[in-house]
Amino acid sequence: MAVQTTQSTPPTSKLRSTSWLRKFTSAVGRPLFAFILAMIAGIIVIMITSQGSPGDRFSAALTAYQDLFVGSFGNAQNFSFTLVTVTPLILTSISVAIAFRGGLFNIGAEGQLAVGAMVAGIIAFKVPTWPGWALIPLMITGSMLAGAIWGGIVGILKAWRGAHEVVTTIMLNWIAFYVTDYLIDGPFKALNQADQTDALPKQATFPTVASAYNHTLGTFLPQITNPQQYPIDISIFIALLALIVYWFIVSRTTFGYEIRVIGQNPKAAQYAGIPTKRNIFLVMAIAGAFSGLAGSLHLMGQFPYQLIGSTFRIDPTGFDAIGVALLGRTTAIGVLLASLLFGGLLYGGSYMQLFANVPGDLVYIIQALVLFTIAAEFLPAIQRALPRGLFASRKPALVPSIEGATISDIPENDKNNGGVMQEGALTGPPGVFRDSPGENESSGQPSTAVDDSNRSAED
Amino acid sequence: MFFQVLFRVLGSSDLWQATLQFAALLVLPALAGVISERSGVVNIAMEGMMLTGAYVGVMSALATNNVFVGVLGAMIAGGVMALIHAVVSINFHANQIVSGLAVNIAALGLTNYLLLVQTNGQGVPHLANALRLPIVTWGPLANIPFLGPVLFQQNIIFYVAIVILIATQFILFRTNVGLRIRAVGEHPQAADTAGVNVRLVRYLCVISGGFLSGLAGAFLAMGIAGIFNSNMTAGAGYIALAAVIFGKYNPLGAGGACLIFGLGEALSTRLQDTGISPNLLSTLPYILTIIALVGLVGRTIPPAADGIPYDPGSE
Repeated sequence: MAVQTTQSTPPTSKLRSTSWLRKFTSAVGRPLFAFILAMIAGIIVIMITSQGSPGDRFSAALTAYQDLFVGSFGNAQNFSFTLVTVTPLILTSISVAIAFRGGLFNIGAEGQLAVGAMVAGIIAFKVPTWPGWALIPLMITGSMLAGAIWGGIVGILKAWRGAHEVVTTIMLNWIAFYVTDYLIDGPFKALNQADQTDALPKQATFPTVASAYNHTLGTFLPQITNPQQYPIDISIFIALLALIVYWFIVSRTTFGYEIRVIGQNPKAAQYAGIPTKRNIFLVMAIAGAFSGLAGSLHLMGQFPYQLIGSTFRIDPTGFDAIGVALLGRTTAIGVLLASLLFGGLLYGGSYMQLFANVPGDLVYIIQALVLFTIAAEFLPAIQRALPRGLFASRKPALVPSIEGATISDIPENDKNNGGVMQEGALTGPPGVFRDSPGENESSGQPSTAVDDSNRSAED
Repeated sequence: MFFQVLFRVLGSSDLWQATLQFAALLVLPALAGVISERSGVVNIAMEGMMLTGAYVGVMSALATNNVFVGVLGAMIAGGVMALIHAVVSINFHANQIVSGLAVNIAALGLTNYLLLVQTNGQGVPHLANALRLPIVTWGPLANIPFLGPVLFQQNIIFYVAIVILIATQFILFRTNVGLRIRAVGEHPQAADTAGVNVRLVRYLCVISGGFLSGLAGAFLAMGIAGIFNSNMTAGAGYIALAAVIFGKYNPLGAGGACLIFGLGEALSTRLQDTGISPNLLSTLPYILTIIALVGLVGRTIPPAADGIPYDPGSE
């Protein structure tokens, strides 16, 4: 699906050689635009709801933002707290992002995270006497497997029965929440404690980065004083490793290439001999595994090292991940940066509430606005509205073949693989990029698809 | 033992009254979903529209001391959230799932934010009886054993919901307006050619869905609970979404699904004596929906142009 912009798109090879700068602005511009717009809207919300003269209100908003920043990145301790929220966010965002690459919408990251954490906990409670070097890998594997099953079910239902993944993931989320609540308050309930499990055995928990440093490098380098101030545990490194794995899968393997083609156009993929169904299953299973990993790492890394009832259903991580994956344009580096941003907002929000007396829920309003702005084609719409004359040559409307088209059937615009950076396009869920008038509703159909696959082949 | 309890529970009017009440609560957002998706706009934002409706309903009822204003406020609030979803997804071609999700997140953030700011962290007080949606008692009919409390002693919104349900079914399948809505959802080009304003129809459908969801929010906060709590919808909007699919995008089908889900919900709190965990019983609606999706009860096929923005050939 070609995106029509003010400039006609030059051939790929030329573009790649000419302008890295343009590629960069085009990659960063839209997320940045979304974020700035959302922050401005946040100021307006604070100004409306605070008291005093307009000047007072404005300074109240600035104070709130200052606290938001100090609370998230202002000092080492706050940054350490931010990283605690960032770790699971990175992993669930990878989960959402890899599904996006395959043209699938994984809203189920939270449920996959829940079953992952639950299975890791169950393993630890079943064999609490095992040594850490055996127990921790077992718990991690178990959680990834559980997440993979939870995600894989979605993939199977999608590939073989055509069940829409958005609905099945939402349903499986709630099933996961209720089943984990049942297990936490039932078979694995702590004695004399309501609605929570025992804490993990000591050897199944991760040390914090600070204390790990003090026990290794710190023995001959300067020690970190008060390591207990910095709660971030070593699982952040596993999350970073997962980012590298994710980058490798999507850009250096045949599988990564195949899911991208499927994401752009399942029919083209099928004609090219790519095992579509198997890959849809695999990509959802892998997505689930990353989310499951997020669950076990958080359980093992953070106080109180136990499972508590009803936590998963109010935990926003799996849903925040959708915004992160979109904002990060599903690239590894983008996911990292967007996770830091969202994680910072989340932790900084609670700090802001404490010190600036502005409810931390403001960050959810900001987050929603980021989502709106990224999903909506405000920029292309503005461009469209301005110089009418530039759009004289419009493609004729093609005969639509939208029969049975679901959202995921609509090819996704890919810009990360080639160098075909188009304004107004970003890697996101299928169908985010509906472009210029004239070739609209027919975007799911083969003729444009051939276009697309040709272009990928040229790359 | 189990069956004894089950039969006792199944025979109690209390269970069926609660079932119908839940079903009425779910059917309003479910109808919102049906109307919206039939017109070709994917809508997973019922949760957010309900929550906003619940909050604005309670606050405006408290502010004006008037139930009617409260309900009106709730419906308008739901409509405004729907309008945002409509603008973003119809005019700006947003991915409608992302947009719906953003509405839900925004609603949660906004209601929590305003709840803290407007009540100084005190929370909303319980509504006085005069500010709650009344329960309608149908004179002597209410005294009929079993049927009386189940059918003739329900909240006023229950009866409103039934009327809206039947009206929606009639409008969608028996009138010109319904034909247009379905045409826009199935084949917007054809509808456009025939002179139907595709975007306008979609706008109206999404926004009326917002009104219905807002009304459901008012029912929840001002009828059932009598108070507003943070995130009080707790997934009801998503169950309604499940009902839309389970009911195969038909109003009556969705209504039937809501009855089943309502029964599941009512049972889950009443079967604790049998030793079955209410948590496990609560998974029932979701499992049923997946089974429906997998096609064991016939395939669910969404409207053909569902989720695909339409641009009238603007040149």
